[in-house]
Amino acid sequence: MKPVCTDSFLLRFSRSGTGSQSGARPLALALWLLWVIPQGGHSAPAAGGATPPAARVDEKHRGFFRDYCVECHGPKKQEGKLRLDEISFALDSVETADRWQKILGQINSGEMPPEDARQPSKIVKSDFLDNLSQTLVHARRTLSDTQGKITMRRLNRREYQNSIRDLLGVRVDVQDLPADGGAGTFDTVGSALFMSSDQFERYLELGRKALDHCFAKLDTGTRFFSIHREPETETNINTLKKIQKVDATQAKYLEWTAAVDQLAALPENQALVAEIRALPTVKAVPSRFYIQWSVRKPEPSPKAFGFSDASEAEFLAGQYAKIRIDKDYISLPHKDTGTYLTLNLGHSLEKIEAGKDWPPGDYLLRVKIGALEDSAPERRFLQVGHADPKNPNSPGASFQHFTTLQITGTVERPQVLEIPVRIDPETPRLIYLRERTGRGKDYKLTTDSLRSTGKGPKPALWIDWLELEGPVQNKPVAGAAKPKPPEPLFQLAGLSKASPQARQTEARQILERFALQAFRGKKAEPEFIDRLMALFETRIQAGESFEIAIRTPLSVILASPGFLYLQELGEEGKPRPLKQLEFVSRLSYFLWSAPPDEPLLELARAGQLNQPVVLAQQIKRMLDSEKSFAFTSGFLTQWLNLERLDLFQFDLELYPNFDDAAKEAARMEVLKTFEHLLRNGGSLTRLLKSDFVMINGLLAQHYGIPGVEGNEFRPVALPKGHERGGLLGMAAILAMGSNGRESSPVERGAWVLRKLLHDPPPPAPANVPQLTRLEGKLLTTRERLAAHQEEPQCSQCHRKIDPIGFGLENFDASGRWRTQDSYFKKGVGKKEWPIDPAGAFYKGPAFRNFAELREIIANSPRRFSATFAEALVEYALGRPVGFTDQALIQQMTQAAEQKNFVLSEYLFALINSREFQSK
Amino acid sequence: MNPSIPRRHFLRAAGSLIALPALESLGYRAFAAEKKTTPPKRMLFLGMGFGVTRETWYPDPKQQGAHYVLPEGLQPLARHQQNFSVIQGLTNKFNTEGHWGSTFWLTGANRYGVPGQNFHNSISADQVAAAVLGADTRYGSLHFSTNNGLGDGHGPGLSLAWNAQGKPIAGIESPTLAFHRLFSEEKTSLAERKALFAQQRSILDAVLVDAKRVKRGITKTDADKLDEYLESIRDIEIRISKEEKWSGAPKAKAPMPEPAAGLTGEQQIKAFYDLALAAFQTDSTRVITYRQPVNALLKGFDLKNPVDPHSMSHYALGLSTGDASQLRDKAQSKLLAELLDKLKSIKEADGSTLFDHTCLVFGSNIRSVHSLDNCPTIVSGGASIRLGQHIVLPKDTPLSNLWLTLLQGVGVSAERHGDSTGTLSQLVS
Repeated sequence: MKPVCTDSFLLRFSRSGTGSQSGARPLALALWLLWVIPQGGHSAPAAGGATPPAARVDEKHRGFFRDYCVECHGPKKQEGKLRLDEISFALDSVETADRWQKILGQINSGEMPPEDARQPSKIVKSDFLDNLSQTLVHARRTLSDTQGKITMRRLNRREYQNSIRDLLGVRVDVQDLPADGGAGTFDTVGSALFMSSDQFERYLELGRKALDHCFAKLDTGTRFFSIHREPETETNINTLKKIQKVDATQAKYLEWTAAVDQLAALPENQALVAEIRALPTVKAVPSRFYIQWSVRKPEPSPKAFGFSDASEAEFLAGQYAKIRIDKDYISLPHKDTGTYLTLNLGHSLEKIEAGKDWPPGDYLLRVKIGALEDSAPERRFLQVGHADPKNPNSPGASFQHFTTLQITGTVERPQVLEIPVRIDPETPRLIYLRERTGRGKDYKLTTDSLRSTGKGPKPALWIDWLELEGPVQNKPVAGAAKPKPPEPLFQLAGLSKASPQARQTEARQILERFALQAFRGKKAEPEFIDRLMALFETRIQAGESFEIAIRTPLSVILASPGFLYLQELGEEGKPRPLKQLEFVSRLSYFLWSAPPDEPLLELARAGQLNQPVVLAQQIKRMLDSEKSFAFTSGFLTQWLNLERLDLFQFDLELYPNFDDAAKEAARMEVLKTFEHLLRNGGSLTRLLKSDFVMINGLLAQHYGIPGVEGNEFRPVALPKGHERGGLLGMAAILAMGSNGRESSPVERGAWVLRKLLHDPPPPAPANVPQLTRLEGKLLTTRERLAAHQEEPQCSQCHRKIDPIGFGLENFDASGRWRTQDSYFKKGVGKKEWPIDPAGAFYKGPAFRNFAELREIIANSPRRFSATFAEALVEYALGRPVGFTDQALIQQMTQAAEQKNFVLSEYLFALINSREFQSK
Repeated sequence: MNPSIPRRHFLRAAGSLIALPALESLGYRAFAAEKKTTPPKRMLFLGMGFGVTRETWYPDPKQQGAHYVLPEGLQPLARHQQNFSVIQGLTNKFNTEGHWGSTFWLTGANRYGVPGQNFHNSISADQVAAAVLGADTRYGSLHFSTNNGLGDGHGPGLSLAWNAQGKPIAGIESPTLAFHRLFSEEKTSLAERKALFAQQRSILDAVLVDAKRVKRGITKTDADKLDEYLESIRDIEIRISKEEKWSGAPKAKAPMPEPAAGLTGEQQIKAFYDLALAAFQTDSTRVITYRQPVNALLKGFDLKNPVDPHSMSHYALGLSTGDASQLRDKAQSKLLAELLDKLKSIKEADGSTLFDHTCLVFGSNIRSVHSLDNCPTIVSGGASIRLGQHIVLPKDTPLSNLWLTLLQGVGVSAERHGDSTGTLSQLVS
C-alpha cells in the first residue's frame, strides 16, 4: 500500500469521456438524478456548433489569484514575468494552455504560493486545483480535436496477422513488428500508427515467411496424418525394466554381503572385524565394512556375484533406495492400461510428437484421461504445452502451457478430451502434458510428502491414451467425397516446365488476382504488375523454379501500401459518403479486425450494402462469426486496460491458485461475458450488475461457486444478492486493482471513475511531493490512505477516488471475497482488522457495503453508457474522440437506451451513422 | 577483398574486449571519405526510463564545483569522479507525462504543440548529430532499445530516437542481432550482393508505383500519413546506396566475441555497452542511443518482495520499493563506471583514448516518482565540456540547452534544438 499520488500506470490517457450528457431523458426515480455528474471543466456541447467552445477556468477562481498571487504577479510586481490579474481564463490556444499548465505545476509542487506568503485553506486549494486540472484536460482535448478527421490507417499488428490469415490460411508471428499505438490511443487510431524502414523490411520478410508456409501446405495437399499412443507400453515397461534390474542387483549384493558376514562370524576373523569396524569411514557408514573387507580379504570375491569390484557393488546397491519412487509409481493400480502424471518428481510429463513431415496447420489432440477419485479438486487440471524452444531438453523446467483443462472424468470413467493444437513452422513438434503446476503450493506439497512418507504426493491424473491427428480440414469423412484441397490460390502444376510465353501469362494472372485480393477488391495498376513481373523474371533468370520465383513478387504485394493501408478517397474538409468497397473494409476491420470476406465484397460490388435490411443481416452474420472475437478481445483489452494483468506476477505464496492459468481464465471471463451479451441481445447494464456469470470450472473454484465443471465458459445463474455478476465482481478487474500482493483502493477507485462513472480523474500531476511518512507503519489501509486528505494537491482527486476503492476492499488482490485484512512488516509486527467498506461518493450518495456501492453505480447506467459509446467511436473510427463526436455519441446512447441499453444497438447505431459511413 | 574469410576469425577466442587502436581496423582506412588526422567525435546517449532515488543520488546542491561529496547512488563511479559531471536544474518544460522518461528526453518537444493532434514530437538530438557525424560511417546511427518501453518508464517510442519528422525510429532489442548487423559478413559474394541491391531497388520502385496509386485522390492528412511510408522507402534507398558504397569493404572485424543469446537485465546492458564501444572503436558508427531495460534489471536483484518498475518509481526508503530504487541506482552507476573504464582503455590511432572523443550522456526526463524537474543528468567524455564538476543550474534551465551545448561541443553547428534558449556556459570548457 502506498499513500502516494494516484495514477493508473499506463492508463494515463483516459480513453473515456469528454463531457457529460446533456439532453438525455431522465430515468424515473433513478438515483443518478440526485447525484449530479460533476461538470468540472467539461462544458456541455452546443448542439450543431462547428467549433468546440474553449475550455474555461471557472471565473470564481479569480478570487484565488487576487488573494494569493496578484501581490507578486500583478500590476505592482510581475515576478517571473507573469501577471495573473489580467490572465485570460479561456484556454483557447496551445500557448495559454501551456501557461496554465505551468501555473498548475507550480501550485501542485507546493512552490506557489511561497511558504512565507498567505496560504489558501485546504478546501479552497483543492477546489481550485480540481477545477484547473479538469479544465486543462478539457483544453488539451479541445485543442487536439481532429474536427472529425479520420487519418488513413495502417493495418495494426492484429489486423495484419488476420489479413494474412484470411489471404493465405496461415498464421504469422507478429512479435517482430514494432508495437502499435503507444500514446494511449487504441491500436486502430491512424494518426498513431507509424511506419519505418525497418518495419517495411519486416513486412517483406514476414510476407515471404507466410508465403513459404502457405506453399508448404499446398504441397501436402489433402494428406491426413495421425498417431495413437498407449503410454503404458513405453513408460511403464521402461520403469518396470529399471526396477527389475535394480532389484536383481540388490539380490546379488545381499548374497555377497551374506557371504562376507558368514566369514566374518568365524572366530579367527574377529581381530580383523574389530579393526575394520574401528575405521572412521566404517563408523560413519556401516555398509562400507564390505569394501574394507574386500580390500583385506580376497574371498568372497565380488566378481563371483557379478560386480567388477566391491566399490561398484556398493554403488549399485545405493540405487536401490532411489527407485522407491518408481516402485510406488508402478504399484499404482491402473498402470497396465495407462500412465499417471506425478507432481514434480518421477513421471510428471507425458508427451506425443507430430511427424516431421506433417505440414504446419491445425491439429487435434485427443486424450483419454481421468482424475483419481480422492484427488483434491484444485489438482484436477491438465496443462498442455511445449518446452521452450530455447531450452528443449529440459521440458520440465521450460514448460510453456498453451491451455489448461479441468478433468471431470475419473479413472473408472475416463473422459476423452479434444484439444485443438496449432503447429506452426517454428513451434516444437513435441507436445507435453502435465498436471497444472507452478502454483505456490506444489513445491510445499512435494517436500511435505517426502518428509512424512518418503514418497512424492499421490498423483491426481491418469492417462489412458493419446492421439494426434490433422490437418483437421483434411480429415476423411465416412461416406463423403474425398476432401478437396483448399481453393488453390496459385495454379502451379507443371508450370516450371512451361514455355516462357505460358509462364509469363500465368504469372501475370496470379499476381493480378493476388493483388486484387490483398488490396481488398481494388485493382493494382498495370505498371505495378509490370514491375512485379520484372522481379519474377529476375528470379527465374537466377535459376529459381516458377513456384519459388513467384514468391518474391507476391511478398512485395504484402508490403505494398495497397495492402498495408486502408485507403479511402477524400478531400480535406469536405466529408463525403464512402464508396461501398471502402465502407465494407471499414466495417470488417471494425467487427473482425480482418478484411471483408467474399460475401461482403460481392454485396459491396453489387451496391447492396446501403439497403438497411441487407446491412443488418450482414452485421448479424459478422457478429455471430467467430471472427468477431477479434473485436471483443481487441476492443475490451484496450478499453478496460486488461493489459495491466500482465504487468506483475502474483505472489503465489499468498495466492497459490491465482497462477497464469487462473489469470487467463479471469481475463477470458470479461471477454466471454461481453461476447455473450453482444450475440444474445444482452444489455450493457449487465456489465454493471448481473444475475449470471460466464465462467468455467477453474473460475468457479476461484469464486467458490459449486456445480460448475469443465472448460467451456457458460452462463451460470447467481443467487440473489451474490457478490459476483458485473465487472466489479470479476477477478480480472479486481486483480488489476492490485500489485499482486495487496489490493489497491486507489487503482480500483480511479478505474471505476474512469471506466464506469464517466468522471475520469485528470492525469496524475507531475512534481507532487511524495508522501511516505506512513510507509512501513502498522496501520490499516484506511489509516494509511488518510494522508491523501492532508494535502490539497492529493485530496483534489483522492477525495473522489479513495472512498470507491474502500468500498471494494472486500475483494482481495486476486478477487476473492474476504472480511478481514492484515498488514505485516518484518521486525515491526502484524496488524489485522475487519474490512469496513462503508463510504460515500464525493458529493454523492452514501453506501454501507459493496452491494450498495454496486447498486448506486448500476443505477447510473447513462454514465457507463457514455463511456462505452465514446470508446467504441474511437476504436471504430480510428481517431481520438472529440467535441465533434458529441452528437454521434448522444445519438448512439439514446438509440441504445430506448432498447434497454442492448449492447448490439450501440454497434448498429454507430455503423449506421453518417460518421461511420463517410470519409 | 576476400569476403569468404571466416567472420570473427581471429577474434572469437578473445575473452572480452580487446583494445585495438580505433580506426586501425581494416575497413576504415580504405573507405573513409577522407583520412583524418584527429579521431572523429562520437555521441552516446543512455536513457534510463524511470528516474533515480532523489535522496541518495543527487549531490548536495550546496557543494558545487569540483569538491563535492559523491552520494551513495553514485559511489560506484567514485574512481571516475574527475571524468564526469553531474548537472542539476535541467527541465523539459513541456513534458507533463510522469511516466515518460524518454519520449521527449532528447527532443524537447511539446506533445500538444500542434493543434488538431494529440501527440506531436520532433527530431531528437542524436539524429541532429547523426546527420553530420554519420556521413562517413557504414551506419549513420545505431539504436539499442528495450521492448518494455511503457513498463520501464520510457514512454511511447521505439528507441530514444525520433526522426526529422518527429516519428519514432526503431531500435535493436537483442545484442546478438546488433552484433550481426555490425560485424557479420554477408554470406553472399559481391556479385550476388550487387544483384541483391538491384532487386531491392526494383522492389522499392514497385511499391512506389503502388504508393502513387494509393495517394491519388486522398486527403492531405492521409497523403501526409502515406509520406511516412515514402519516407521509409527513401531511408532504405539511402541505406542501400550506403551499403553499396561499402559493399566492397568487409565489415569491421569484431573486437569482441559474439554476445550470448537471450541476455537480459544487467548482462544485456553490459553487452550493449560493449557493442557501443566496439561500434565506435571500429568506426562503424559515431552516434548511438540506448533505451535501457528497467524491469529486467530489477528482476536480477535479490529482493524479498519483487518490485515492478512503476512501484519502484514510487519508492519509499526502507521498504522493498526503496531498496529496489537504490539498488538500481548503484547497479546503473557500476555499469556506467565499467563503461568509462573501457572507454579510457581503448586507444585511438593518435595515442589518445576513445573517452577523449566520445560524448556520453546518462539520464532521464523523470527525476524521481512523477517529478519532471531537475532531470538526472550525467555527462562525460570529450565534448569540450568541463568534467569532474557538480553543476547546479538555475531552476528549470531547458534540457535542450544541454543538447545544444553538447552538439556544438562535438562540432555540430546547430543553432537551436527543441525549446533551447542558449548553451550552458557553466559546462563549456
